[in-house]
Amino acid sequence: MKTITHTRMTISLSAIALACSLSISGCATSQKTSVDTVAASPGLVTASFTMPSYQSVTLDNGLNVNLMVQKEVPLVTIDAVVRAGAVNDVTSGMAYITSQSLMLGAAGQSKADIEQQLDFMGASIDTNADLEGSYIRANMMSKDVDTVLNIFSHILRQPDFDSAEFDKLKQRETVGLSQQKESPRAVIGRYFNKLVFGTHPYANPVSGNSDTIAKLSVEELRAFHKGYYQPSNMTINVVGDFDVADMTAKLNKAFGDWQTSETVVQPDLSQNLPTLTQPHVLLVDKPDAIETTFLIGGVGIRYDNPDYVGLTVVNTILGGRFTSWLNDELRVNAGLTYGARSGFSPYAQSGVFQISTFTKSSTTKEAIDLALKTYARLWEKGIDQTTLDSAKAYVKGQFPPKYETSGQLAGLLSDMYLYGFNDDFINQFQAKVDGLTLAETQRLIKQYFPQQNLQFVLIGNAEKIADIAAQYGEVTKVDITATGFGQ
Amino acid sequence: MALLMTIGVLSAPNVSATQAEDINSFTLENGMKIMVLEDSSIPNANMYIFWKVGSRNEVPGITGISHFFEHMMFNGSKKFGPKMFDRTMEAAGGANNAYTSEDLTVYTDWFPANGLETIFDLEADRIANLDINPEMVESERGVVQSERTTGLENSNWRTIQEALKSVAFAAHPYSWSVIGYESDIAAWTLEDLQQYHKTYYAPNNALVVITGDVKLAEVKALANQYFAPIPAQAPPKAVRTIEPPQNGERRVFVKKESVSTPNIMLAYHVPATSHADYYALDLLSSMLSQGNSSRFYQALVDKQLAVAAETYMPMSFDPNLFYILGVANAGVSAETLEQALIEQINLIATQGVTQQELEKVKNIKLMDFYRTMETINGKANTLGTYELYFGDYAKLFNAPDAYNQVTPADIQRVAQTYLIKANRTVGVLAATEESDK
Repeated sequence: MKTITHTRMTISLSAIALACSLSISGCATSQKTSVDTVAASPGLVTASFTMPSYQSVTLDNGLNVNLMVQKEVPLVTIDAVVRAGAVNDVTSGMAYITSQSLMLGAAGQSKADIEQQLDFMGASIDTNADLEGSYIRANMMSKDVDTVLNIFSHILRQPDFDSAEFDKLKQRETVGLSQQKESPRAVIGRYFNKLVFGTHPYANPVSGNSDTIAKLSVEELRAFHKGYYQPSNMTINVVGDFDVADMTAKLNKAFGDWQTSETVVQPDLSQNLPTLTQPHVLLVDKPDAIETTFLIGGVGIRYDNPDYVGLTVVNTILGGRFTSWLNDELRVNAGLTYGARSGFSPYAQSGVFQISTFTKSSTTKEAIDLALKTYARLWEKGIDQTTLDSAKAYVKGQFPPKYETSGQLAGLLSDMYLYGFNDDFINQFQAKVDGLTLAETQRLIKQYFPQQNLQFVLIGNAEKIADIAAQYGEVTKVDITATGFGQ
Repeated sequence: MALLMTIGVLSAPNVSATQAEDINSFTLENGMKIMVLEDSSIPNANMYIFWKVGSRNEVPGITGISHFFEHMMFNGSKKFGPKMFDRTMEAAGGANNAYTSEDLTVYTDWFPANGLETIFDLEADRIANLDINPEMVESERGVVQSERTTGLENSNWRTIQEALKSVAFAAHPYSWSVIGYESDIAAWTLEDLQQYHKTYYAPNNALVVITGDVKLAEVKALANQYFAPIPAQAPPKAVRTIEPPQNGERRVFVKKESVSTPNIMLAYHVPATSHADYYALDLLSSMLSQGNSSRFYQALVDKQLAVAAETYMPMSFDPNLFYILGVANAGVSAETLEQALIEQINLIATQGVTQQELEKVKNIKLMDFYRTMETINGKANTLGTYELYFGDYAKLFNAPDAYNQVTPADIQRVAQTYLIKANRTVGVLAATEESDK
């Protein structure tokens, strides 16, 4: 998305999955102004929001598909989610490059032919991978389902991995990595995961790096595809304007004869998780930087953590909405930044917690110190009832729009598969928020927010900020143009 | 065949999709127009307030003030003092944001439907009774300076566009970026801000769009209670400057050391959105850059000359620019990329486009239309945008037909008319500038 207009909103520095829909920005006052938090009106009852109905169907070959009808617009989203991501990489970037390579031609049809066909219908198929999953998403008008589903099944089941196209892809991706490093915001999360997880697979940068991508071969991709892209290791979610019986028949025709042929081997991600025993600072030198972009944090929580919802509420108060403590102090009171926030990014077996913001080079120390001081309020002062009530109203009120479109709902079903949660996530969300007490927030703060041995990533002009970096822990310095995302 | 299929879809829209007759609108006595779309798909609603003021309404010395003022609208009014706008809204389960463009300043409130009255109360108070506090102005300057800096740090597009606009426009206020010049951000005064509020934030200069799980009667009652008492004011002065014709190519170079390969931005003057050529230009934009079957992808990305090539044509009250941005592949010079981009444009001007290619981008537009209409926010923002830029929200629902009427000859004609050298500004962003030979 081009940044043509100017908004009050900041862009998140990393995927902060727990944070609700945020509007970080804009309102300022002096530090002298004393303002109480507004209590949620006791008479204001949020209308209930429940999981839209859907059907789960098992095809003849055991492949699970979920079908959710949404008739607001004549569109359909079809998602396939495969349990294979960067944590499965043998060579860094393998899952991601495999996902990108699915589009390089399939079942004998060239990349250009496929793209021409899809574009002509106004349809699209996008492929991607993250740490723990690979995704194929098709969007189309309802009238084009047959044609698009046919292409979709070819891409998923019979990618050609054309070697000439593969060489071009690798070249584009390598240059793309250099360009991503022109924007600190685009890459800082990868440096942070490497700093926190070290040799654990959760440190793997999904993108790979320029050296590893150059090494990848078509044969490796074929092996990765064969090993993981199988009916027993995936699910398909269809959301939109279609008839369930008709769609089930179409899916059976497209996928019913596809047999699982390999034993899927998954890494045990519960092993060798990091224990952070001292604070570290990774200083990423970008000599022409005009500001310092930074993350502070540590290990977070698993996706299936029973306290997930409660932590959403507590984090909302700390750094998950415009009036959060972090945004209020760093932006509104001090005018140091355009936005500051915090959040948990949960994975299947672990996760990260991060505070993120940016400031001009000359105010780096002031901003870091203020972020740390504000964070410390969690333990020093805790949360009061009025603030808790407001945060509870906020997370409930902002919840439904996160699951409004076919794409959002298909993505929810994909996450349910990958991370092992069910409809209760939606249906019990409100009750769990309502049930959160002040005493519980104290337990959550003590149990989950990393207080000691914080990890820091600072991207900026090292000549100006190296001395500041050294004040927060043992410093490792890397050049932003160096291969990869830290040591 | 494809054309028939497309028209078939349009003439028999899905029964659940929003249609023009679903929109209700009324105008208060003070001139404030309010549009309402009832939609109970989720238990939420939103309010979008479009103010007809943007960087277009500024003059040198106060550039960026429209955007800065947008920030100040959250900083306290009579009933809801400092910080209370956000705190009150969030306690009612709502969130908000705002954006400023060259033409508009738009405030967006997203809330559970039962918070509607709170939102009216909050908005009415800051429209009628904004209190601009000097201390807040100083703090907010730092915020906007940080917003400007982080944009330049993280976005090559923003860096090069800022320089290019200043060259492409000799007279019209589209010459400066929406965020404004650094020195102006540091300099504007309390009086400047107060005058801005008084001039532009009058109900007769606004359009309100409310969509979601609300009832028209309820909205009418609340609008009459909260917005109707705010007095109308004399309309703001019209923007008088008309950009003189460009009679020769202009160029600008921007140096940024961390840029790994050159970025090329081309910009051509094009008419305002209300002009009949809008649809042909918009389709031409899609032909060049939308999807991997597009001309730029095929000729530049697939051929390893560029890693990305995009187009952008903003909706606009006055004649504005049609932008093209290419990012060079490794080892490709700025000159080579520039020539390759221009060659693709000239191919359309000289050889035209096929019916098949045109049908393709029409289908892409139809898909985009449905996607926009999938959320209450997409509906609110787009309804307001069409009402203001086309003069009638109903044009949104006519848009697929308007696109359908464009012919290959129209595409070739607009390319020949607007995308020519004499009407072009070229921007180059790179780590080093070539030395004199």
